[in-house]
Amino acid sequence: MLKLNKKISVFAAIAISFSVSAVAGEKDVKVKAPKVRAIDAATEYKVEKGVYAGVYKVNEQTSKIKKFGYGKKATPDEIKFNNIDVRYDWKGLPEGKGTVAEGEELYSKNCIMCHGDFGAGGKGYPVLAGGQGSLKNQLINPENGDEPPVKTIGSYWPYASTLFWYVKTGMPFPHPMSLTNDQTYAIVAYLLSLNDIQVGGEDLDDDTVLDKKKLMTVVMPNVNGFYPDVNAKNGADNMKKYLSKASNYGTQTVRCMKNCKPGKVIRIKHTLDEGIKPPLSEKRDLPKVKAGGAADNKYAKMFETNCKACHGNKAIAPVPGDKEAWAARIKQGKDTLYKHALKGFQGMPPKGGTNLPDADIKGIVDYMVSKSK
Amino acid sequence: MKQNTNNTTADRRGFLKNVAASVVAAGALVPVGLSAKDDPALMKEPEWGKKLGRPVDADPYGMPSPYEHNVERRVHELLSSGDMYASVAMCPIQDLDGIITPNGLFFSRCHGGVAIIDPNEYRLIIHGLVEKPLVLTLEQLKRYPSESRIHFIECPANGSTEWRAPQFDTLQFMKGMMSQAEWTGVKLSTLLKDVGVKPNAKWVLAEGSDDSHMGRTIPIEKIMDDAMVVWAQNGEALRPEQGYPVRLLVPGWEGNLNVKWLKRLKFGDKPWHAKEETSKYTMLTPTGKAVQFFWPMEVNSVITSPCPDKPWTDLKKGDIVEIQGLAWSGEGTIKGVDISFDGGKNWVEANLKGLVLPKAWTRFSYIYKWDGKPIVLSSRAYDDAGFVQPTITQEVSKMGVEGIYHRNAIVSWEVKANGEVHNVQVRDYEKEKKAIEKMQKGAKNA
Ligand code: HEC
Ligand code: HEC
Repeated sequence: MLKLNKKISVFAAIAISFSVSAVAGEKDVKVKAPKVRAIDAATEYKVEKGVYAGVYKVNEQTSKIKKFGYGKKATPDEIKFNNIDVRYDWKGLPEGKGTVAEGEELYSKNCIMCHGDFGAGGKGYPVLAGGQGSLKNQLINPENGDEPPVKTIGSYWPYASTLFWYVKTGMPFPHPMSLTNDQTYAIVAYLLSLNDIQVGGEDLDDDTVLDKKKLMTVVMPNVNGFYPDVNAKNGADNMKKYLSKASNYGTQTVRCMKNCKPGKVIRIKHTLDEGIKPPLSEKRDLPKVKAGGAADNKYAKMFETNCKACHGNKAIAPVPGDKEAWAARIKQGKDTLYKHALKGFQGMPPKGGTNLPDADIKGIVDYMVSKSK
Repeated sequence: MKQNTNNTTADRRGFLKNVAASVVAAGALVPVGLSAKDDPALMKEPEWGKKLGRPVDADPYGMPSPYEHNVERRVHELLSSGDMYASVAMCPIQDLDGIITPNGLFFSRCHGGVAIIDPNEYRLIIHGLVEKPLVLTLEQLKRYPSESRIHFIECPANGSTEWRAPQFDTLQFMKGMMSQAEWTGVKLSTLLKDVGVKPNAKWVLAEGSDDSHMGRTIPIEKIMDDAMVVWAQNGEALRPEQGYPVRLLVPGWEGNLNVKWLKRLKFGDKPWHAKEETSKYTMLTPTGKAVQFFWPMEVNSVITSPCPDKPWTDLKKGDIVEIQGLAWSGEGTIKGVDISFDGGKNWVEANLKGLVLPKAWTRFSYIYKWDGKPIVLSSRAYDDAGFVQPTITQEVSKMGVEGIYHRNAIVSWEVKANGEVHNVQVRDYEKEKKAIEKMQKGAKNA
């Protein structure tokens, strides 16, 4: 089964250890590869004599049944309502329009608290602009002044369709699916302008209106930055070819058993362990009760799901329990706080971007205040 | 609890060993009274033997012993995309036995928090290039003949903090972005008989209904081969963190492709290029170009005992100890695992134990007599697809250090003379640097 390479003698191995080029050790064992591979280059498993992959028994009656007939036919309206994707060839892109200036305003209201001024990030959330020309950077050694690559919409994303789709269905993070198509066009226009991406060969200025036709002309700078080509006619086969050849990505097909040369032992220099959220205790003892665990009420739960995305991070919004951050706010009086929470106030969107009833918003504000006194 | 006072870690192995040692020392026939050799724990009737325990109806849903509260998922701010809604909670694999992860400890990676879905409102909609677009309720879905499969799910970013250098001194944070369960659901090849996939359908978009509306593209070949729509995990309904009530299961492939809170399957003739297959889950190489659609999790392994979290500090020179660990491959079945005691220069074959299943965690074991001297322990797995785990330098020389995903290089532990275990890497930086610079240059000229 295993083919041993006995040709390299012990003496050769000794000789090799003096030479610069690291040849594999004296005994390499090639691992047997399957004749047929699945689409991901994996071993292909079959059902044989009622057993799958040689281990799982299967009920072969199932394979003989042509139809089960469960469920109901989806109606055209049901399909239309849920058909929210936008493919790279623009299939699924809805009509709409918006300007860069409108997008900037929307961005300041809905996005800036996490993604920073001009998409610069800075709070641990993704950076949305910059990084062009950095993709070949490799941060091998920070002490040598090596810089990392910066992957953003402008430097890395191959398709603007993805941007429209993701902003429309995934952002703003605390309450997605809340932007209209027009608003999404406006924000996409603003984000493209931040990344100096042209539309129809022209720079985007404040009044540029982005609509479906114009967006479909956008070619992202890094459109050719990805391989293998999966968009080709039988694109998945290109992937199979790539994955089947282990040397494409460094995986091996041979086990070096003796006198291998993996390199030197490197120990931890900069540990990340400090950032780990500590356990309740290091001992196998009875747990101490978490403080404040009993205060779980309806509004605490509503706070968790509706407000904490911002109010759980002091870089974005005042965190309940942070007395310093709340003192001056509480001084304004409950009515002002209610008003700000209901109608919005600077970075605070109206009702935190939710459509909860007023009474619930007030209840949550009471909870936030009670935690912060 | 006094019996364990000289044991500062919560290491069960160490604990049991101490007890075992004292039992032997105490001898079998010590009468009343307490000599220095007697273990006080055995010289009194314990509290729990002198009273009733809890009634059987006290815990309608049982929980682990309260003493096991340290065994939990953990988080780190650096592993988040800004907050704990777009982040990962790491599985304590150092504390697991066997190959099944208890549901409460299964690693949890979310892109918009854990959605809580009302199962009565749950619908799966299937449309696109099909003969009959279909809507299924949860009950209807569960009517299909079910199958159960044991598979790991691993986030392709597992171990991504280690590309440049060793950084975590804990197994939980080095490799805890994976877990394994027995999943139950219906194979898509069975379910899709009811929709009739058209011949020009080459790709499927799977979409979740959570905050992130996670969308990922999967080729039809995989969908028809072994992909499943699952509703149960280790015998009970999926946990919310795993996509309750329904998730996609794509055996052996990137965790992210196993779309949770699955709502929609759409068949098309082209791949979609969603955010998570362009901006993320692509591997940037030193040429400035990135590998996309790298689906399978490659052959991999790690020694789980010892490890930094489970050291040999209770062992003495000459003690016999089992070295064990996990090996897995998303591309097949584990064929074998080699172990090295000198940081990967020379290797011996370890033994597999327990169930050896396709695309599943497999335990390996090696009984070792430790001479009390420092060693560097490494493991290297190979699978029936013909793939072998690379050294760090072999992998980095092809991919560079900025790829983030799909790191499957050999993991090494340094065992010190005092039994402490630390994460180390065995690599040739000079060689890597040369290879990386060559790739960078070659790309410039092209
Ligand atoms: C509460 C914080 C928050 C707010 C507000 C927010 N985002 Fe995000 N954004 C995130 C997080 C977190 C992610 C990463 C999600 C993930 O891990 O999948 C993200 C990701 C993104 C990305 C993908 C970045 C990349 O390169 O992968 C874009 C684009 C984006 N947001 C745009 C927006 C826009 C536009 C808005 C306003 C309409 C917005 N975001 C509001 C937190 C936020
Ligand atoms: C998208 C982020 C975001 C969300 C979501 C959010 N807030 Fe805020 N909130 C803010 C910011 C930013 C401020 C600080 C505004 C300032 O003072 O500039 C704030 C301030 C407040 C204040 C203090 C107002 C004042 O006058 O000082 C209250 C009360 C408040 N939010 C309530 C809520 C409630 C209730 C929710 C959930 C229903 C919520 N917020 C959700 C961002 C958010």
